[in-house]
Amino acid sequence: MSVDHFWTAFAFGPFMNALLIGLSVASIWLIAALGLAIVYGTMGVINMAHGEFVMLGAYSAFVLERYLGVPFLACIPCAFVIVAAIGAVIELGLVRYLYRRPLDTLLATWGLSLVLIQTVRLILGPEPKNIASPEFLNSSVQFWVFSLSLFRLFVIAVTLATFAGTWWLMHRTRVGLMVRAVMQNKEIASAHGIDTGRVYTLTFAYGAGLAGLAGAMFGAIKNVFPDMGSGYIVEAFLVVVVGGVGSLIGSLVSAVGLGEIYSVFAYFTNGTFAKFWLFLLVVVFLRFRPQGLFAESLGRR
Amino acid sequence: MNSLYDNRTLQWIVYFVFFAVLAVLPMFIENAFTTNLFSRFIVLGMLALSVSVVWGFGGILSLGQGIAFGLAAYGMGMTMQMQSQDPVNAPIPSFMLTNELTELPALWIPFWHTPTGIALALIVPTIFFGVFGAMMFQARLVGVFVAIVTLAMLSAWYSMAFDMQPYTAGFNGISPPAPLNIAGHAIDPYSHEAYWIVLAFLAALTLGMKLLLSTKFGLVVQAIRDDPERARFLGYSVAGYQVTIFTISGFIAAVAGVLWVMIVQYVSPTALEVQFSVSMVIWAAVGGRMSLLGAIIGAFFVNGIQSYLGDELLYGFLLVLGGLFIVIVRFLPNGLAGLLEMALARIGRSKAPGPDAEPGTPPVAASAAPRSQV
Amino acid sequence: MDGKRRTFLKTSTAIATTAGAGSLGGFPYFFVKDAGAQSTPWVKKGDKIKVGVLFSLTGALAVVETDSNQVVQFAIDKINKAGGIAGMQVEPVIIDAKSDIKVFSEKISQLILKDRVIATFGGYTSASRRAMAPVVMARDHLLYYPTCYEGRECTQNIVNTGPLANQHSQDLIPFMVKSFGKKTYFVGSNYIWPKESNKNAKVWLEKVGGELLGEEYVELGGSDFSSIFNKIRQTKPDFIFSTVVGDSDIALHKQFKQEGFKVDKMPIAALTTGEIETRAMGAEFGAGHFLSAPYFQTLDTPTNKKFVEEYLASKYGKGGVTHYNMEETYLSVWAFKYAFEKALAKAGSVEAITPRMIRDVTPGIRIEDDVSPEGLVYFDETCHLYMKPKIGQCQANGQFKIVKAADAHIAPDPFVIYPERGVCKFDGLHTKDGKVLKNVL
Repeated sequence: MSVDHFWTAFAFGPFMNALLIGLSVASIWLIAALGLAIVYGTMGVINMAHGEFVMLGAYSAFVLERYLGVPFLACIPCAFVIVAAIGAVIELGLVRYLYRRPLDTLLATWGLSLVLIQTVRLILGPEPKNIASPEFLNSSVQFWVFSLSLFRLFVIAVTLATFAGTWWLMHRTRVGLMVRAVMQNKEIASAHGIDTGRVYTLTFAYGAGLAGLAGAMFGAIKNVFPDMGSGYIVEAFLVVVVGGVGSLIGSLVSAVGLGEIYSVFAYFTNGTFAKFWLFLLVVVFLRFRPQGLFAESLGRR
Repeated sequence: MNSLYDNRTLQWIVYFVFFAVLAVLPMFIENAFTTNLFSRFIVLGMLALSVSVVWGFGGILSLGQGIAFGLAAYGMGMTMQMQSQDPVNAPIPSFMLTNELTELPALWIPFWHTPTGIALALIVPTIFFGVFGAMMFQARLVGVFVAIVTLAMLSAWYSMAFDMQPYTAGFNGISPPAPLNIAGHAIDPYSHEAYWIVLAFLAALTLGMKLLLSTKFGLVVQAIRDDPERARFLGYSVAGYQVTIFTISGFIAAVAGVLWVMIVQYVSPTALEVQFSVSMVIWAAVGGRMSLLGAIIGAFFVNGIQSYLGDELLYGFLLVLGGLFIVIVRFLPNGLAGLLEMALARIGRSKAPGPDAEPGTPPVAASAAPRSQV
Repeated sequence: MDGKRRTFLKTSTAIATTAGAGSLGGFPYFFVKDAGAQSTPWVKKGDKIKVGVLFSLTGALAVVETDSNQVVQFAIDKINKAGGIAGMQVEPVIIDAKSDIKVFSEKISQLILKDRVIATFGGYTSASRRAMAPVVMARDHLLYYPTCYEGRECTQNIVNTGPLANQHSQDLIPFMVKSFGKKTYFVGSNYIWPKESNKNAKVWLEKVGGELLGEEYVELGGSDFSSIFNKIRQTKPDFIFSTVVGDSDIALHKQFKQEGFKVDKMPIAALTTGEIETRAMGAEFGAGHFLSAPYFQTLDTPTNKKFVEEYLASKYGKGGVTHYNMEETYLSVWAFKYAFEKALAKAGSVEAITPRMIRDVTPGIRIEDDVSPEGLVYFDETCHLYMKPKIGQCQANGQFKIVKAADAHIAPDPFVIYPERGVCKFDGLHTKDGKVLKNVL
């Protein structure tokens, strides 16, 4: 029986919808990966606790909404601020001592992720929490053959806005210029009077904040529980690496590409099988293009 | 020259003493549970050994050691499951019934024969690592990219093990109901015998690696770790050496997979989980990845703590464990072995490497480019 | 020679024990002597009865298993207050399985070999049961597995208090077809229990002339249902039959509403979405959907009212709801109590009782209306329960209104759709050619 239902036949409308869903999946992966891309691209820090920043963002939104009555839409920027602050503290207290040993940050942040998960569990309990989203987002829209939940459209919109904002910040402001300078060559940047320590703190905090923002939205589509972060980390890493380290545009393109591949495979077969092909294609892709789609400013090698 | 870092004879003595102590240890344990627990630790130590070989000496951060472990574990699980099937009344394991299978799939047929099954469990993952390694290193993948590619490959296998339920039982896993039976003799997983078998493999592999890494081959591998470009200019086939060391580490992890199922009688996709492969790297790092023995001790140490503190502290143990990693990484970059080296260096007033001088990571690397050698 | 070796071992163990207690203070139990010789009694007269409680208190499974752990302690407290079992107090040995399959396998052997418990209550997923089973069987020990599972196993060391796949859907599918229409779509988590449950559901679907439009499985822990809803929108079923578990189940219900589906046009009939899930997802996402389970918090019986009241008032009831999984776990402790008493009557003294003996007297044990919150249940010869599944519809407050209850107890049958394999009986699987296979996994 399972064989009968393994392949779904092509049908125009649903297939077009699958393409749209691909965009929606891409927006989720992109917003989860954006903070990682910036932190990794700038500082070379492999932040294994990135998923836990997502989780902290979801919990921030939950606490604000449930206990302080903050409306959901206002919770999203608040989650950004709160998690960015936590990120800054972590950078100052731990990560900054490890810049000369990039791989060790992997271990330290892994330890950090355990601590964060268990602290949240001890304070707020192991059971999943619910973030109530406004009623108008809990419906869907139809146009032509398409049908998509408003919430998904909302996530796509927020992701695009965040992406545009980040791009503007990096390429059109003085702070962004400093970040890019440090990204290309820390010593020279430092010699030009840029306070690299401060740039790192700001970058790490900003990356953490983006994860927090993502978490506030994910909490409303899915639910909020202490281990939720681990579900995003692998896909987020793939998006960053396939896109090319240090390239924002690369992350955007790779998120859309991977999201569409996943969604189309999931349409014709099933989700688990689609993941299998996705991972395999990434391996093959990196075999032939190890630097990713767009590799910017790799510095000296 | 009192330093352990320089004195080879002293190193060999330490290795022999270590395994001698482990070998007589069961004489003092009459508790079947503890014997089995120690056997488990030894297998996990073998995984840390494989990480130490490939990462500490080969400079390749592989997050995919679980692939070899998992494939071998499945091979062994299938072999042991088939030992308890009855050709007439129960020709196929019962989980296959759910998936509409009426006869044994071709994939499973070789596992009727125990020696073939065990051989396949060791050979298939090793060959896979050879092919996969060739694919990566001929493309000159380095550092974090290797980590991510191995991670993606691991995730692919994980999804596969989950989805191919007619052949793998998916999430539920395979639990052979009886212990391994070799030529009519059942190896009780709780016995001293099982412990000694496992230990013999660990000792043989560790000493073998120690020998191998002090040959010319081993020195070239370490030279590549420290600077692949220079080694390439000197005319060495960097990819060739990397593939070989990667394959060897895959073989070690495969042996661990086979032994694991022998003493645990269970295999499931959790063997292929990302979390598990990352934790192998953690054990090696805690113990000191530049030291084979250090990595093994790291595995014992972390798993011992996990097993013991998990019971004592219940809710608090993750905090302690996480905190421990942070402290070790922050203050002891070369792990426990580094601590020992520092202590010995101080006693002997010999110059052991300082905590910040980590071969393989020149200080400029971090700032120059994140994708440089790691 | 052999004798000599034993003395050596004994002396050295004694030394090691003292040394272990002193110098290796951190790891005392690693060097304790094995109390596990076969002649040593599992329970001594005047001592406490030790039982293992092995659930995850940390990690992803903690969501459900924390409740299981709490309710076992609640039941033990209750039994102890009323005088214990045969005048002896019960002592739980509580261990965290950390949501890690490896830990389940390690800790069950610790409980059996080191702590010398006489039985263990543990597990919520089939994977954890399968990881524990080889250890339990090798030591001829006893495991209470207190939740629903797929069946198709015939072991002599496990007592099950949850419904089997064949008991769940028997009423649910005909009810849904009658109320909403013939066309259905199956959605499940991608592992064996949902697949087996769906196989059973198909049998009932065929009997009432229903039509299966498609069958989709989401990866375990996966939370994106947009692809699946796309296919559902394409095929337009009358109702969805769901065997999605855990976090994914919550995501399914949330996204159902966010995708614009209407619960009165196409409700979800689930085997998993209980009070704890509806509370976690927010009742507005659960309202209107259906669940088939042997127990609901709203069951209107004096025993259940008392159970809910006492549990929520106790220190264990902070979670705020009771649900079917928790109630099945509660029943398992009572099943143990009755079986222990029955074994004692048979064996004569507590010292003579073995774990296997408790299992062997379990068939026929009844948990009556005045103890069982879901009403009378009783064991068949394979140590599964006869029970009455009920169908509830989720209301706006997250609680369920019972819309249908089975008239008679439904028999458990782990091999019901595999008659060619044989029949599971007390002593093993009886095959067609007259063999008896023990411990079929």
